[in-house]
Amino acid sequence: MAKRWTCVEAGCEYELVAPDVESVVKGAQEHIAEAHSSFELEEMIEDVLEDV
Amino acid sequence: MATTERQSLDPDVVRKFHFTREMIEGPVYRKYQKAIRKFWSVEDLDFTQDAEDWTRIDDERKRGLLGVTVRFLAGEQNVTDELVPMLTASHALNRFDWTVYLSTFLMEEAKHSEFFMRWHDRVVGVLEPEEVAQHFLVRGKTIDPSGRFEVRDVLHEALPYYGRQLMEATMGGIEAEIERAFVAFSAAYNAFVEGVLTMPSYEIVIDTTTSWNAFPTLRQGFKLILMDEGRHITFGTYATRVLIEKDPSYEEEVHKVFDAYRGNIVGLVEYQKAVPGLDLQKYQTMKVRHYRNRCREMGITPDETLIEQILDPSIDFVVGVEAG
Repeated sequence: MAKRWTCVEAGCEYELVAPDVESVVKGAQEHIAEAHSSFELEEMIEDVLEDV
Repeated sequence: MATTERQSLDPDVVRKFHFTREMIEGPVYRKYQKAIRKFWSVEDLDFTQDAEDWTRIDDERKRGLLGVTVRFLAGEQNVTDELVPMLTASHALNRFDWTVYLSTFLMEEAKHSEFFMRWHDRVVGVLEPEEVAQHFLVRGKTIDPSGRFEVRDVLHEALPYYGRQLMEATMGGIEAEIERAFVAFSAAYNAFVEGVLTMPSYEIVIDTTTSWNAFPTLRQGFKLILMDEGRHITFGTYATRVLIEKDPSYEEEVHKVFDAYRGNIVGLVEYQKAVPGLDLQKYQTMKVRHYRNRCREMGITPDETLIEQILDPSIDFVVGVEAG
């Protein structure tokens, strides 16, 4: 089942859908690094994933 | 298929068993399974390159790096020692999945201590308490020049204090008091220390060693530790959220903890100033991100005055940080 991650940063509406958890975690970490100059741990991303 | 009629079961016998289908499909049991799946061993790490890098960096860099790593060595030992109250409280609250998960949490904190012990032994050549203590940066009392904030010792003061409170509540056996003390302890340990205060410190070490093109195994160790810390933090914030949903008045315990140690959060992290070339504001912005995220995970409202103070560039005194 595909997974959706929505960025939780204030004012950010970035959304990412990927076919599996590993891909969505990688994409979310890239987004946090590029858009917010920071990092997010795998566990925090996995905890807010939604099934699509 | 069950072969025994339920009516005939002795409740005392049933109470000997704790697993349920709901539990093993739940988020805390999932963290336990993941901790087992993602297990790593310090003995598998190769410290050879780090030992070579140590011989080629100058004394100023050696002092700077050791000032941070020795603090982590002390801090990881301290958090290993201070986790037991959470285990006993989970048992008292009949949260078997929490107890099961915490068994991996405690082991991981011990392993993080082991990592820093091995790194100092094999790279720097120090291990005995008297050897490493020489490199522990004693700041004396950190003073906020504006006089608005007090900087306290979170690791050696707050964690033992909230731990004692939790142990006493657990021994007292009153569920609501155990839950309230659990929230305060978790707020200090998982949300404050692990989830906000030390996050920029990990990033600083990773950024610094990357910019030096040195110490690949120290960097690898920090990344492995961060992977474990993600589970620790989200366990604590999840457990706190569950308890606050049960009794919303517990939320005030979280704010009390953050308020009591406000000075430690608003000040700059150790070595934000001492390592040349680091972007100071980056790490303060990160602290705010982590604080907002911890509040969201706990289901509580962030304290906006705390956020304003973290981001205030005029507040720039330095606070020692010792890991989670």
